[in-house]
Amino acid sequence: MSTLIHRPAVELHGFHDEGHGFDVFGLHPPTLRRTLALGGRLCDRYFRTRSYGAESIPLDGPAILVANHGGALPIDAALLLLDVDRATGRIVRPIADRFVPSLPVISTWFARTGAVVGTHVNAGRLLARGELIAIWPEGSAGIAKPARDRYQMRTWQVGHAELALRHRAPVVPVAILGCEESWPVLGRLRRFHRFGIPFLPIPALPLPLPLRHHIYYGAPIALHDGLDRDAADDPAVVARAAARVRLALSALIHDARQARAGRLV
Amino acid sequence: MNVLVTGATTPLGRAIIERLLRTPEVGQVLAVGAEHGGPGLPSDSGRFRYERVDLTRPRSVRDLLYGPARAHGIDTVLHGVLHRAARDRGARVHAVNVEATRMLVQSCAQHPQIRRFVLRSGAEVYAIRPDEPNLLDEDHALVFDPAAPQWLRDRVEADLVACAQIGTAAASIAVLRCAEILAEGTGSQLWDYLGSRVCLRPLGFDPMINVLSIPDAVAAIVGALASDARGVFNIPGRDVLPLSRLIALAGRRDVPVPGPLLAPLYRLRTRTVGFEFRYDLNLGRFHLGGILDGTRARATFGYEPRHAIAYPGHAAAA
Repeated sequence: MSTLIHRPAVELHGFHDEGHGFDVFGLHPPTLRRTLALGGRLCDRYFRTRSYGAESIPLDGPAILVANHGGALPIDAALLLLDVDRATGRIVRPIADRFVPSLPVISTWFARTGAVVGTHVNAGRLLARGELIAIWPEGSAGIAKPARDRYQMRTWQVGHAELALRHRAPVVPVAILGCEESWPVLGRLRRFHRFGIPFLPIPALPLPLPLRHHIYYGAPIALHDGLDRDAADDPAVVARAAARVRLALSALIHDARQARAGRLV
Repeated sequence: MNVLVTGATTPLGRAIIERLLRTPEVGQVLAVGAEHGGPGLPSDSGRFRYERVDLTRPRSVRDLLYGPARAHGIDTVLHGVLHRAARDRGARVHAVNVEATRMLVQSCAQHPQIRRFVLRSGAEVYAIRPDEPNLLDEDHALVFDPAAPQWLRDRVEADLVACAQIGTAAASIAVLRCAEILAEGTGSQLWDYLGSRVCLRPLGFDPMINVLSIPDAVAAIVGALASDARGVFNIPGRDVLPLSRLIALAGRRDVPVPGPLLAPLYRLRTRTVGFEFRYDLNLGRFHLGGILDGTRARATFGYEPRHAIAYPGHAAAA
């Protein structure tokens, strides 16, 4: 796997302005630009992310990035957003958990930088418009895993597969390494549900460690090949498609860890 | 097409009538209102007539539909009467909102001459919850909370009364769930909210809001009247923008305040100054947003919002 030379992102193509500088979900390109610029400088110095295989990401049309989830907080989403922007100039729309809109400040910031609540109507609209979305099928269960379970994918929701079949969007598996080690978690406060969050992670450290992160993009998978759109209504087909993605991502994570072996910094 | 329009004396009603009278395909327009003389409406003529009718009385509704409506060859009915004052409640308000709708739609469903009934409903019927999509399509959940204010419960009930007849009545029935029309005299909560020099919003939240202009509402309604499409249709507005931007465009001062303080502050404002804005009616969309998905209306009768709101102090966008 080769390191893609990072190049400056061009314009934010794929943005659908509703007339006041925002899209229907609240994405605001100037806010996104500022976040990417500031976040990029921070992440470059702190996490020194390297990415491999970004040429797998389609440069236009609908596509779904499917990634593993880890760490005390979803820093992996931020790193992915940055990396894809630099590699392709495309805006990634991270699909967020359903409690996110209840979080003050974070909900607004996430919306302005492109995140969208994870419902079929929202995700379907994005794909129908030809946008690039990122889904973490492990959901919140992937966050704050104990160290012994790192890189073991837990619950695996199938929504990404149904969307890919229905909208005939290629799926690109993405292995993100580093989040699990840089911010390990001691446990979860399961009874803490303020703002609707499922639990409160208890990190072992107040901040993540400055470990190098790696992002590996796998070959795109056309789940819809040989199938018509109605296949998305068949639970068995959807389950098989989701399992195929899980297998591909697991293999990618395994290969990535082998390639990284011992090199956490 | 000969059209009966209820709520004729409202700003929206007058705009609809004006547009219908300019439409060559429209023969007769029978306007119905609660006021004497039809203020603001054209004088009675060969094509236009105003009738003062209390739609909460079953006999009055029947006399209207089998009297003047029949005589004028009315075959299309538009109903959008809702009690606008958010503070009012009780049996009389329920009668205006729900019973009048029920009597009218059921009578039209059985009428030998009427073949089209369009109900103007609103986006407020949709439940706004954090685990629900930003984009609201016609299948989205409605507000069924029994603790919801009567203002909301009545609108949901009126909407469902019409929906229940879709597909069973001889007449083709359409329910238009319109985004909030941001204009004076329309009962708009947001218009009232923006009437203050200082607009409070929940700290940490700046949701996307969708507002509809009267010209777009008229275009959607007239398009639906001319169509024979049955079903529920969302009617979004041209303006989709954050609440803070809406406040700024209206020339008001935007002050974020911790959420729990907003309801008591606005209740105090209502009691002291007498405004209609109620924070409990707007709590969902002031935190979470919720934009109407107009795909079905666009595909079915070609509705596309084109007219942005003319905000005070800004040139109207084309």
